[in-house]
Amino acid sequence: MRKVILYAAVIAVIGFGILQFKPKAPLYHSQSYVFGTLVDISIYGETDERARAVTNLILQDFQHLHHRFHAWKTDTSGHASELGQLNEAFAKGTSPIEVQADLANIIRDATALSVKSNGLFNPAIGHLVSAWGFQRDEFSAVQINQEAINNLVQAAPRMTDIVLNKSNVYSKNSSVKLDLGGYAKGYALDLALQRLRQEKIKHALVNIGGNIIALGQHGQKPWRVGIQHPRAPTAIATLDLADGWAIGTSGDYQRYFFKEKQRYCHIIDPRTGYPVQHTQSVTVLIPPQSAHQIQAGVLSDVATKPIFIASPENKNQMAKKFGIEYLMVIDEKSNILISKKLAKNLHWQQPDVQFSTFE
Amino acid sequence: MNVKHIQTTVEDHQVAKLAAFAIALHMIEAVIPSPLPGVKPGIANIITLFVLYRYGFATAAWVSILRVFASSLLLGQFLSPAFSLSLGGAVVSLVVLWLAAHLPSRHFGPVSLSILAAFGHIAGQLIIVRLWLIPHAGISYLIPIFATAALFFGLINGLITAKLINVKPSNN
Amino acid sequence: MCNFLRLNNQLTKYLRLGDSILILMSIIGIIWLFNTLWSNEQAAKVQIRQGEKIIGTYSLNQAREVQVKGPIGVNTIHISNGRARFSKSPCHNQYCVHQGWLNRAGQAAICLPNQISLELIGETKPYDSLNY
Repeated sequence: MRKVILYAAVIAVIGFGILQFKPKAPLYHSQSYVFGTLVDISIYGETDERARAVTNLILQDFQHLHHRFHAWKTDTSGHASELGQLNEAFAKGTSPIEVQADLANIIRDATALSVKSNGLFNPAIGHLVSAWGFQRDEFSAVQINQEAINNLVQAAPRMTDIVLNKSNVYSKNSSVKLDLGGYAKGYALDLALQRLRQEKIKHALVNIGGNIIALGQHGQKPWRVGIQHPRAPTAIATLDLADGWAIGTSGDYQRYFFKEKQRYCHIIDPRTGYPVQHTQSVTVLIPPQSAHQIQAGVLSDVATKPIFIASPENKNQMAKKFGIEYLMVIDEKSNILISKKLAKNLHWQQPDVQFSTFE
Repeated sequence: MNVKHIQTTVEDHQVAKLAAFAIALHMIEAVIPSPLPGVKPGIANIITLFVLYRYGFATAAWVSILRVFASSLLLGQFLSPAFSLSLGGAVVSLVVLWLAAHLPSRHFGPVSLSILAAFGHIAGQLIIVRLWLIPHAGISYLIPIFATAALFFGLINGLITAKLINVKPSNN
Repeated sequence: MCNFLRLNNQLTKYLRLGDSILILMSIIGIIWLFNTLWSNEQAAKVQIRQGEKIIGTYSLNQAREVQVKGPIGVNTIHISNGRARFSKSPCHNQYCVHQGWLNRAGQAAICLPNQISLELIGETKPYDSLNY
């Protein structure tokens, strides 16, 4: 009897030892710079060849989107992008021009989201973004022109100024300049998910410049993502991202410059024309949405902006307007506020993290 | 005048000799430089194990604790950090030995006891370090190295002990 | 040869079955200790990428300077004492340099204008991808 127990123990020990050296899971990982940002795609459970082919398809889609909807670049022959041409038409006057069906859809959805946010999410303020110097790949501190900014705020460009008649578009307000910076990454995420499903990929994680969407899971475990610490080069917390869920963060550390020790970030309050300074970051977690609704990727990208811009006491209310139940806000003093639902899902990366929860 | 005579047995003399020998080994080791503080062969533990096999646990515990106190007094380290490390290591290692002595001896010989005692030794020392000397986490990085050294020296010391207890006791 | 045989013989004489199992378990336990304590906490290597290429993977224990050329110039990456950082960059905003030292597995810094990234790697990453 004793011998049997001993041999069982030996086998158990050897088994445990082998488990320590389990072979690497078939994970394909690619990083590339498209869309003016870092695109990071992980595909699980496919051969390398297949994963590479699908990744290339997705990257081509992104490249294509990037060329069409870029707010400030022209193509090699000096022509403005599709979006650039539309903005030129807006500036000139009210004669409608025809746009492709997907751009018309984007304008329709972005307008609906802008209305829902009481105009705090406002992709029509391209001229303001440009005045602050953020419409450049390489930007630095600008001379702040108070008068120009005031004039741009007074001109009050709004998404509702854009008139959409099937595929014909014009603007009632010539100060409207579309900048899809807060929309396109999320849109690209939804497109990537669609492409992956179409190609019968079961498990993938797509990260476009920080916004992430999950398909399936990473082997036996869900995909796990880290959330950037707004003031340190590390993750503040990690969480599991289930099938079809998306996560988005807006932070004052993404694009900014310092002037006289003041931080000026790329998120501009359309009411004042100035960068928001009361918030370090806003993170939202979005569950999969039903078909024919605005999808999780776009929501994860867009919803963070009005919450970021809203004053601290209005942030939770703004989140509720967008139906957001998983929310984290880090304010200018690095205080952390979380919704109860998200608090349950976070794994802090440092011990003793202090946070409070929204009511 | 009333002089009280203490009866000493041959066994007492044996134990006293062994304790003296353990102290000597401990002191020799204290002088030998080590590549990493804390990594030592622990040859004095051979004596503790030997006494455990010959005279039982109580005597082994006595020899071990006596050795820690006596050598630290002789080295002038009494109540210093080095002493507390020695004592912490010796106490935990004795607790482990007491438990290990209950293992079926048909399958577990002096080598097992020696290795377990060595692990107990580093565990005791690390507890002291963590609680008192360096109360931050940086030390965890060194644990695998200490454990490797404990396994290696524990094995060697155990084999030496096994050889010693197979030698018939001499009668002086 | 004769010596070796005698040693081998003595080893089997003093090593009982339980002893051997204990040694085996200890070795596995120590490997497990190395795996958990040496990889998660402290990163061992830094992987440098430029564009889609991996420029190199360097040990953090050997101090060195790595220069990587990107579309707008040359970035200097400094590695020493288990840490790595961007020390010089031709980009305007200098975000990569401001990221400072990285020393834990999973940490990363990116110089977007020059398309260069540093990622510290250990045995296991705490997450699959970073939301930033």
